[in-house]
Amino acid sequence: MSSPHSGDTVHEHRFDNGLWLLFEPMPWLPTLSASLLLPFGSATDPEGLEGSGSVLHDWIQRGAGALDSRAHSDALEGLGVRRGGAAGREAASLSASFLSGELASVMPLVAAMVDEPRLDAAEFAPARELAQEELASLADAPTQRLFNALMERFLDGGPGRSPYGTKDGLAALTPESVRQDAVRRLGPGGAILAMAGGADWQNVQDVVGRAFRGWTGEAQPLVEPKVRPAGSGHVTADSAQTQIGVAFPAPDPGDPDVYAYDLGLHVLSGSMGARLFTEVREKRGLVYSVGASYRALHGFGYTLGYAGTTPERADETLRVLLAEIRRLTEGADEGEFERARTGMLSAVVMQGESSGARASRLASDALLQGRARTLGEIRRAVEAVDLDRLNAYLAGHPFPEATVVTLGPKPLSHEAAA
Amino acid sequence: MSGPATPTEQRGELRFDRTVLANGLTVIGEFNPFAASVAAGYFVRTGARDESSDVAGVSHFLEHMMFKGTDRRSAADINRSFDELGAQYNAFTSEERTVYYGAVLPERLPRLLDLLSDMMRPALRQEDFDVEKNVILEEIAMYEDRPHFRVFELAGKGFWNGHPLGQSVLGGQDAIRALTREQMLGYFERRYAPSNLVLAVSGAYDWDVVTADVARLSGGWRPFEVGRDLPEAHPASGEGRTRDGALSRVHAAVFAPGLAVTDERRYAAAVLGNVLGDDSGSRLFWALVDKGLADSASLGHEASDGAGAYVGYVSAAPERADDVIAAYRRVLAEAQDGALDPEEWRRSQRKLATSLTLRAETPLGRLVSLGVAEQTLGRYQSVQDVVRAVMESSVEDGRALLAERPFDALYVHRLEPDGAPSA
Repeated sequence: MSSPHSGDTVHEHRFDNGLWLLFEPMPWLPTLSASLLLPFGSATDPEGLEGSGSVLHDWIQRGAGALDSRAHSDALEGLGVRRGGAAGREAASLSASFLSGELASVMPLVAAMVDEPRLDAAEFAPARELAQEELASLADAPTQRLFNALMERFLDGGPGRSPYGTKDGLAALTPESVRQDAVRRLGPGGAILAMAGGADWQNVQDVVGRAFRGWTGEAQPLVEPKVRPAGSGHVTADSAQTQIGVAFPAPDPGDPDVYAYDLGLHVLSGSMGARLFTEVREKRGLVYSVGASYRALHGFGYTLGYAGTTPERADETLRVLLAEIRRLTEGADEGEFERARTGMLSAVVMQGESSGARASRLASDALLQGRARTLGEIRRAVEAVDLDRLNAYLAGHPFPEATVVTLGPKPLSHEAAA
Repeated sequence: MSGPATPTEQRGELRFDRTVLANGLTVIGEFNPFAASVAAGYFVRTGARDESSDVAGVSHFLEHMMFKGTDRRSAADINRSFDELGAQYNAFTSEERTVYYGAVLPERLPRLLDLLSDMMRPALRQEDFDVEKNVILEEIAMYEDRPHFRVFELAGKGFWNGHPLGQSVLGGQDAIRALTREQMLGYFERRYAPSNLVLAVSGAYDWDVVTADVARLSGGWRPFEVGRDLPEAHPASGEGRTRDGALSRVHAAVFAPGLAVTDERRYAAAVLGNVLGDDSGSRLFWALVDKGLADSASLGHEASDGAGAYVGYVSAAPERADDVIAAYRRVLAEAQDGALDPEEWRRSQRKLATSLTLRAETPLGRLVSLGVAEQTLGRYQSVQDVVRAVMESSVEDGRALLAERPFDALYVHRLEPDGAPSA
């Protein structure tokens, strides 16, 4: 059957103020999704003011232009907009999904948050208080705590910092310090707006251009992540399960080898038939949840592995997890390769059906690689890796030593991590 | 593009298909000419509410076991087959139902149907049962560490007050340890009748091929009668508390009497739940989250078979919890005593309409609503039908719901650290 999903079109435009717009037409959809990435993350929070980016991200959503916090929120929601967003390590995001016909009404309200946020003093205290509450609530979220501790142990400096900030950093913020931070980091210079869905490119470009044309300013350059020497750590917590996290460097997101690498990771952990799930859960019943996946920051790739298990099984779980990671160097067999490839290619097609998935992927491509990939490009690049190339890659690039952090009632025995 | 686009204008070529096979299995489809993939899933009308106390947790454990092999396939074969299809797949169990589903490229649908249908007649081998029991115990331990999940089980049990909707999906550690393979087999043989299953397909497919395949694949399934107890609910109001020294925060789940899934007022209840407790722009959001008093405060309406509830959640620091929970209660009380604003009603209608339309972008996103509508209402409901029902529910409908004062009968359960101040 014929399909409108060619997956080969991504329009781009860089406005004079530096804002970079990307758009993927999905003309069969009645919906549009937008993802705005603002390059202020915890990595570039001012020293001693950790959490400034998190509070700024909340504060810009508390009133803009002529509208106070309540009026601005009501205006967006009156258009049926579904909102999202998060403060991250490298960038803060604002996302919006809505019916396509509302494009011209929605974008000025989105633009106002970055172009003319009110940053009212009265809204500062609740914004910070909410950030403090969210930081405190991590105490009851062991998996999130584990990953924060792991990233801090794995990466040196800014990029290793938690997006939630620190207790002291949040306490030290003032309205003035965060306003200064906005001057320094909330510019269109490094900002990315990615959109996907049922609309016409010319119309999108016109509407976005009009909405964001008053926005000026630069942005801080992203910080290059540096890996600390591999090692291990433990966070003591009174939890039912021991949380195990591992991290090690991987090809950077723009490296052509990233597709071979990702295929290898799919053999390891792309599905419930992959090696980790089979060896750790299906054969041994050690866990409910286990996996490893490719992650990236700007110009830097890494792999995160995870398993959660009761404390008495934690040593064995970590041993099997690390053994399976090491064994990948020996290569994949024909069947494993075919299954990994089929899974990745199917996922590409299915991602092309969702406006939100496409908008957020385009935005992250632009941030991480400085360019957007079409789904067609990804498909062709995956198809170009055959079994010989995959195995030659895996044999020639053994996984680097992993940093291992655990969280639970007691540390693991030394032998397990060795 | 001019004027608001509606789903109806652009998705006008959807088609609904429905066939009931000789063995009683209902097969439904929603064909979408724009879909690049197809999703299929078996919806079994069985869940925690259908369990007797000696088999608590069996529905969910059985869901895991359905992936552990059939007469034709080992557990590894099943996982490998899904991977060969490039499928995105999973399963879930609730109080109401158990669902097994996958999405693939259209040319692989026949093989997906073969696999899912084969799985509906599992081998339930003892050695697989023994290994999987450990996985279930690990899953229970995982949720022990997730108080925002655990508090709903505690609150549901208290609120439903002996009604089956209050039964735990996971079952407890002890119940799972004691469960035998024979008990599971007995449950399977009582619940997995063809007439208690719906196979739903959404996206790109050929209906003649689908029905011919499924008729052949399910040809050997023996028909028998399956029922469900629908006792009248007598929900409790009041407060419950559970202490856990490992916690740092107070997590509270809130229940109030709501509407059954067949009640025509359920769309208004959904809008009302959104007005009061959506995670942005709702009354609870402005009263608690916007002010930084709670990191989360929400409410929604959940319509179930024969009964329903408004279900909410709030979490706060222990020293503040009394004030926060009092403020939460006040928001609901003031909604009953005060006026509903037509503008806030309209905003919630529009937010819900957008969410419904977004979810329908993908065949997999559409599948669950499709299957659930057939199973609960016995008829097709397009996305447009649901959007229309939401948009037609009026602020007067919301006022009528509030006039029945559902929030006078609130049940609040706190899961809190040791030493939290008592009310």
